Amino acid sequence: MMNMALYKREMKGSIKQLIIFGAVITLYVSIIISMYDPELMKTLDGFAEAMPELMAAVGMRANAGTLLGFMVSYLYGFILLIFPMLFSILKGNALIAKYVDKGSMALLAAAPVKRRTIAFTQMKVLISGIVLLILYSTILEIICAESGFHGELDITALFVVNGGLLCLHLFIGGICFLSSCICSDTKYSVALGAGIPIFMYVLQMLANVGGDAEAAKYFTFFTLFDADGLVAGESKAIISVLILFTGASILYALGIMIFDRKDLHI
Amino acid sequence: MSVIKIENLVRDYGNGKGVFDISFHVNKGEAFGFLGPNGAGKTTTIRHLMGFLKPQSGRCTIDGMDCWREREKVQARLGYIPGEISFFEDVSGAEFLKFIAEYRKIGTQNRKDELLARFELDTKGKIKRMSKGMKQKLGIVAAFMHDPDIIILDEPTSGLDPLMQNRFIDLISDEKKRGKTILMSSHIFEEVERTCGRIGIIQNGRMAAVDDADTLRRRHTRSYTVSLEDEASAEAFAADFGGTRTGLSVTVTTKQSLEEIFMNYYGGEKHDEHGAL
Repeated sequence: MMNMALYKREMKGSIKQLIIFGAVITLYVSIIISMYDPELMKTLDGFAEAMPELMAAVGMRANAGTLLGFMVSYLYGFILLIFPMLFSILKGNALIAKYVDKGSMALLAAAPVKRRTIAFTQMKVLISGIVLLILYSTILEIICAESGFHGELDITALFVVNGGLLCLHLFIGGICFLSSCICSDTKYSVALGAGIPIFMYVLQMLANVGGDAEAAKYFTFFTLFDADGLVAGESKAIISVLILFTGASILYALGIMIFDRKDLHI
Repeated sequence: MSVIKIENLVRDYGNGKGVFDISFHVNKGEAFGFLGPNGAGKTTTIRHLMGFLKPQSGRCTIDGMDCWREREKVQARLGYIPGEISFFEDVSGAEFLKFIAEYRKIGTQNRKDELLARFELDTKGKIKRMSKGMKQKLGIVAAFMHDPDIIILDEPTSGLDPLMQNRFIDLISDEKKRGKTILMSSHIFEEVERTCGRIGIIQNGRMAAVDDADTLRRRHTRSYTVSLEDEASAEAFAADFGGTRTGLSVTVTTKQSLEEIFMNYYGGEKHDEHGAL
C-alpha cells in the first residue's frame, strides 16, 4: 500500500519545514511555560474560591490556576493551533497538487505503482509530519514544565489534551490533503486547503469574543476541540474529538479515491 | 499481432480541441511514427495510453490490458518520455535516477550505466542547473533504464543537438532490432522517417492517414508524359527534368518526399482554417 522510495524522498523534503516549525514552537512553549507563576496562581485560586461569580465573569476558572490550565489558556488557543496548521497547508498542497500542476506527477504515474499507493504514501507523509510536531510539542511541554515546576504538571491530562490536538490537526491535514487531491492547479488547492482552515479559525476567534458572535462557534470545527473540557475529562469533549478523528479518516479516504479516478493532464 | 491498440477514442475538450474517433494500432516489434502539428492531439492520445486520462468513449489497450483500468500492469511493461519533462528540481541527476530505480523497484541490475555512457551524460549536477538537452537525456535514461518492451515517446528529441538526435535514433533502431514495440510522436519529420516503418498522421484531432511509409510515398507519386518534336530535344528534356525517354515522348515522375506529403496535410489544415473563417 505504500511506496518506500517515495516516502523516504518526501520525508527528507519535510525535514526543513519540520525543523522551522519545531523551532518556533520551542521558542513559544518554553517562554510561556517559564512565565507561569505558582504563587500568583494560588492567589487567583484563592480569589476564585472566595468569589466564584466575580472570577467567572472575567473568564477565570479555578482550574486555570494549575500549570496545565495555564498552558491551555496560552498555548492551545493560538500557537499550537496555528503552526501545525501552517505545516499542513504547505505540505498538503505540495504532496499532490504541486506535482500535478508542475507535471512531475507524470514521473510518479508512469510507473507500475498504483495511484492509490501514491496518494496513500503522500497521506502518510503528511500524517507523519503532524504526528512528529505534536509528539515533539508534548515532549517539550513535559521537559519545560518538569524542569521549571517539578511535579506541577498533570501529565495524564496533558496526554489527553494533546491526543485531542492531534485529532484536530489530522482533520485540518485532511482538508488540505483532500483539496490537494481534487485540484490540479496549485492556486485552487491552496485557496481551498488554506482558505477553509483559516476561515474556520477566524470564526473561532469571533466566537471567543462572545456576545452575539458566540453563535459562530456552531459553524467552525475548532469548537470540536475543547481543551478545557478535555482537561476536565468531560465525555462531551472526548466525543467531539472522536468526531474530528472520524471526519479526518473520511477526508483522507475521499482524497485517495478522487485522486485514483481523476484525469491527469500531465 | 497488435500490441498497442486504440479504438474509436474520443475526448472532446470543446472548441474543436481534443481527439475524435481515433483508431490505430501498433504491431509487435514495430516502430510507429505518430505525426502531427502542434495541438493536433498527439499528447492527448498518448495520455490515454499512459492511463492518465479516462476515455470519454472508445478504448485503449496495450497487450490486451485496458490502459485506464489496468494501468499499473500496463506501466510495468512501458517506457515513457513525456513531451515536456518536469523533474524534481531539488535533486541531482544521479539521485533522481536512483529514486526512479527504487520507486519502480527495478533493482540495481539495470541499463543505467550503459545509457549514461551512450549519451555522455554527467549526472552529478542538480537538475535545476541542467540545460534542456541534459534534462532530455536524463528523461531518456529514466525511460529506458528498466529495459521496457513497449516504448512510448512524446517528441523525444526536442532539445537534443543533431549529434545527440542521431545517437537517439540509433538507440531506437537498436531497440527495434531487439524486438521492442515503439510508438513515437513527433512534429519533426526526419526522425520519424528515419526510424518508423509505419506512420499515422493526425490533424485537428482526427487521423488523416495511417499507412506504411512506402505506401504513403507511393500514393503521392505523380507522373506526366510529354511528346517532343525530335529526339535531340526529347533527350535534353529528359536530362533537364530527370525523366525517362521512350522515342519522342518523355515521362517525368515526381516523387514527393514524405516530408512534402506531410506538409500537404499541414497545408490542407491551414486551408481548412481559412475556409472556416
